[in-house]
Amino acid sequence: MAENVELQTSGNMWKVLVEVGQKVSQGDELFIMEVMKMEIPHAAPCDGTVTEVNVNDGDEGLDAGMVAVVIDG
Amino acid sequence: MIEVIKPGLETSVQDYPGRLGYWNQGFPPSGPMDSWSFRLANLLVGNDVGAAGLECQYIGPTLKFNEATVIAVTGADMQAKIDGELVPLWESIAVAAGQVLEMSFAKVGVRGYIAIAGGIATEPWLNSRSTFHKAGVGGMEGHAIKAEQVIPVAAPTTTAVAGRKVIEAARPVFSVDKSWQVEVCRGPNDDWIDEAGHQRFINAEWKLSSKSDRTGFRLEGPEWTFTDKAHNKGPEHGSDPSNIIDQGYPIGAINLGGQTPIILMNDGPSMGGFINPYTVPSIAFWKLGQAKPAEILHFMVISVAEAQAIRQQINELCSEKSIVESR
Repeated sequence: MAENVELQTSGNMWKVLVEVGQKVSQGDELFIMEVMKMEIPHAAPCDGTVTEVNVNDGDEGLDAGMVAVVIDG
Repeated sequence: MIEVIKPGLETSVQDYPGRLGYWNQGFPPSGPMDSWSFRLANLLVGNDVGAAGLECQYIGPTLKFNEATVIAVTGADMQAKIDGELVPLWESIAVAAGQVLEMSFAKVGVRGYIAIAGGIATEPWLNSRSTFHKAGVGGMEGHAIKAEQVIPVAAPTTTAVAGRKVIEAARPVFSVDKSWQVEVCRGPNDDWIDEAGHQRFINAEWKLSSKSDRTGFRLEGPEWTFTDKAHNKGPEHGSDPSNIIDQGYPIGAINLGGQTPIILMNDGPSMGGFINPYTVPSIAFWKLGQAKPAEILHFMVISVAEAQAIRQQINELCSEKSIVESR
């Protein structure tokens, strides 16, 4: 089943840590956002394979709720 | 009392107008960045406009109320739910003992406010309950709230009523097109910037950096150019055109360090050695408090008298005249 990982906050993308095809385990960090000088890591909600990455390092002005990564678990 | 289940991104206790009177000793006022929404939340639950409440930033908290009370949520829409049911913003809500308020990411605006009947009753420090994170004073142990903390609430002096609403015309209107018109007053160091520099500042689109917090809002935009005063000055001022011999800073100063302007906000520094060509008056702080990273700020120069007149209008909107009882 595909799991959508949505942005938990508006802000900028600091670092994307996964790519399409990569296997991830639940709790692995997928990407880190930056807002208010703070890093906001987003972790994999399940084990699986990354099938979509819709964000890039340095993306600015992203809206909360956007589907950033899709994992096929 | 309120139990913190999830703290949110950086949720803190604030009161209005904050810790005034200690700027000369380096303590900023702190207080809510959008004091318009904050004051209205307090009015809804029957508190004084300045009573201590919670400022939620970007991601709201999850809180459990141990006693029946009345609360209000204003400001950014953080999709507040009580026991899983969405609740309205800008309206007082009855909460039963044991119910849970859950907030998530902000959809419109970025700072939400929670007022509780009676107000938060943490120990004041220098006459204010506002949290000043940098010094670790005020609020809950000087910092943002943490999971498992218990937030004390005072007994209300009047009976709080559910179903009180802020009339539409009295609510701040948040930008939905990612751009904000922000008022500024010239000075105190406007004579250090040349005419071309002033024109560029007023006509430019300034992008709000994600490296912005309650201390300062960093802006990205065009280059600044300076008058002779900035270039031909005594060595004690420092070598960069933006350097000046150390001076006091106004709250809201647009502080120019090299070529990077930083608006000094509620938790900002009281002095330093950079020029402040413009100052954002307090009437526009709510806009900055609700703007998201990468949104665009356009600056509009007004006089101090105009800023004071608008301040009076906002104060009048933050009064009982703006509240209706719906049931």
